[in-house]
Amino acid sequence: MIIELGKYPEFLDRVASEIDIPPIKHQNAVARYQAVGHWLEAGGYPGAWGQPSIYPQGSFRLGTVVRPIRRGIEADYDIDLVCEMPLIKHRTTPHEVKHMVGRRLMQHQTYRRLLDDEGRRCWTLEYAEQDGVGFHLDVLPAVPDGSGLQGTALSITHKEGASYSWSASDPKGYANWFDGKNAAAFARVVVEQKQIIQRQASLVFESVDDVPDQLVRTPLQRSIQLMKRHRDIHCNRPEMIDYAPISIIITTLAAHLYGGELDTHAALLGIVGRFQGHAALVEGRAIDPTLETMGLIRRLPDGKWYIGNPVNPDENFADRWHEDDQARARAFFSWVAALQKDLLNVQTSTNPRLLKESLSGTLGTAAVTKHFDVLVPSTGAVEPRPRIHINSPAKPWRCR
Amino acid sequence: MTEDLQKQIAELNDVHKELTHIVEYDAETLLSGAVGFEASADDGLETITDSFDIELTIPHIFPDRLPRAKEVGGRIGTDYEHLNPDGTLCLGVPIEQRCVFFEQPTLLGFVNKLLIPYLYGYCFWSKHGHHPFGEAAHGYEGILRHYIDTLGLQDSLAALAVICFLFEHGYRGHHPCPCGSGQIVRVCHGPALRTLHDHHTRETVRADFLAISSICCAEFKKGQLSFPRPLHNQLIRLLKKFKA
Repeated sequence: MIIELGKYPEFLDRVASEIDIPPIKHQNAVARYQAVGHWLEAGGYPGAWGQPSIYPQGSFRLGTVVRPIRRGIEADYDIDLVCEMPLIKHRTTPHEVKHMVGRRLMQHQTYRRLLDDEGRRCWTLEYAEQDGVGFHLDVLPAVPDGSGLQGTALSITHKEGASYSWSASDPKGYANWFDGKNAAAFARVVVEQKQIIQRQASLVFESVDDVPDQLVRTPLQRSIQLMKRHRDIHCNRPEMIDYAPISIIITTLAAHLYGGELDTHAALLGIVGRFQGHAALVEGRAIDPTLETMGLIRRLPDGKWYIGNPVNPDENFADRWHEDDQARARAFFSWVAALQKDLLNVQTSTNPRLLKESLSGTLGTAAVTKHFDVLVPSTGAVEPRPRIHINSPAKPWRCR
Repeated sequence: MTEDLQKQIAELNDVHKELTHIVEYDAETLLSGAVGFEASADDGLETITDSFDIELTIPHIFPDRLPRAKEVGGRIGTDYEHLNPDGTLCLGVPIEQRCVFFEQPTLLGFVNKLLIPYLYGYCFWSKHGHHPFGEAAHGYEGILRHYIDTLGLQDSLAALAVICFLFEHGYRGHHPCPCGSGQIVRVCHGPALRTLHDHHTRETVRADFLAISSICCAEFKKGQLSFPRPLHNQLIRLLKKFKA
């Protein structure tokens, strides 16, 4: 058995597509959230000047969805929906907005049944699907907030115990920023990928034009998916789980540092390499001047860390990195080192079984097992085993 | 990689078609892949068919030093006693390995005569709980026993005399036989000593000298052994040589 390392980029792409949401599932989820949207739109809300607007945010919107792994088992997809209420922020309260949406959901026979306990920021509908792969649909009540850079800023509600407050968010602005970083690569791959998706899911999409942009994946998006899956598995241990790098940090830094590489493997090499370029910051040492100028990960004079939200520099994604002796910063860089070792240093692998075990342990057994034959094609016909007759053998010994 | 080693790998791959992955390092070549076999053995032992993922590290000074073999498929665990601390397979006492190897002194011979019998032994042991061909004691003791058993010697003192003889002189047919029979080597342990001498290297004879002399010196200190004067003098001479 020979490992065809030249096929490793293809293998990574296939694994990324395996941990992604399949087209049929995606369409299914879209239908679900549109139904929820219609229901919310049709509600009456005192003080509102029109209908709420419902749209996805987060990884589902960005095209970086990964099937979650919980306790080593692939679990339900998480989909975040914003429910933007046409209300004036200072004429309402977070409590009112949150419960307006909650009440409306409760009025629906089915949603009432699916609704989980109230979350800190959202209402969660839990869909158990017939194929056993369900969704968690998080509905996030929000109102427009005129203060953002792009006019897309929102205020979302935040529940702490029994008290409610506003917090800032700008999912649309963030998504537009991400799309900008992804645009060139998207333009390069869109035609070919839509054709492939249509061929593979011809029952779902009659023609290429029916394939939504949201299913196209660039090397940047694939890299983020692989990194998130690796994070989910790598950080799933008691000492790390609370400090695991959050998706928004991975996504933001990757989008900033993506160098336009043409395939996922190259993109991942570039991104992870540039992540590692920041590692000296943990010890307070200088980093490469080019990276320093970019200022993506910064140490502030007071020892705190800063990773800015690109559409709202006041928001610091790394605002807790200094806590517990920089536990989150350390976890981030130790995870980056593991990424390098687990996913990018495979060129020295000689043993298919070991490579398979190692990749399974870091990307998930199901996805790796399914596509491993790309790397190690099974030879088909089984060679007859050499016949050996043993006479006067040595006795096994042990040197100590 | 030398042309000779390339030829040997080609010859090996004619038989073991999956042991083909090659990585070259400065002082050694790493050859890995699956080693399958359908092996039978003398005395009507059962035929065993199996395959193991193996890594062979072949030193560039091969065959002066034999390859090291590792099972890398995760099958042979530390509950099996015949693994070296570094995880390599302990195919046999070094001099015994070399004697067996020189029956067919090529890489193919190494795999067929040393590696596969070991793997066969492992499979047999997993199934039946004992070794089909016996097993050597661990460490220095195994080396000492090997000399005593294969040469039919009386005791560890005779083994010490033999290894001192080999270490100091190599082979000398007209010398008194170190076994203590009073005959000359040629008519006593001649052929056996000749074989040992031919298959030892400077490195292996030194190692065996260290092993056997250590055991004997320990027994001497405990008062369980006394050295005849000439052997005592020879030992002192050789220990000096060893340290130099």
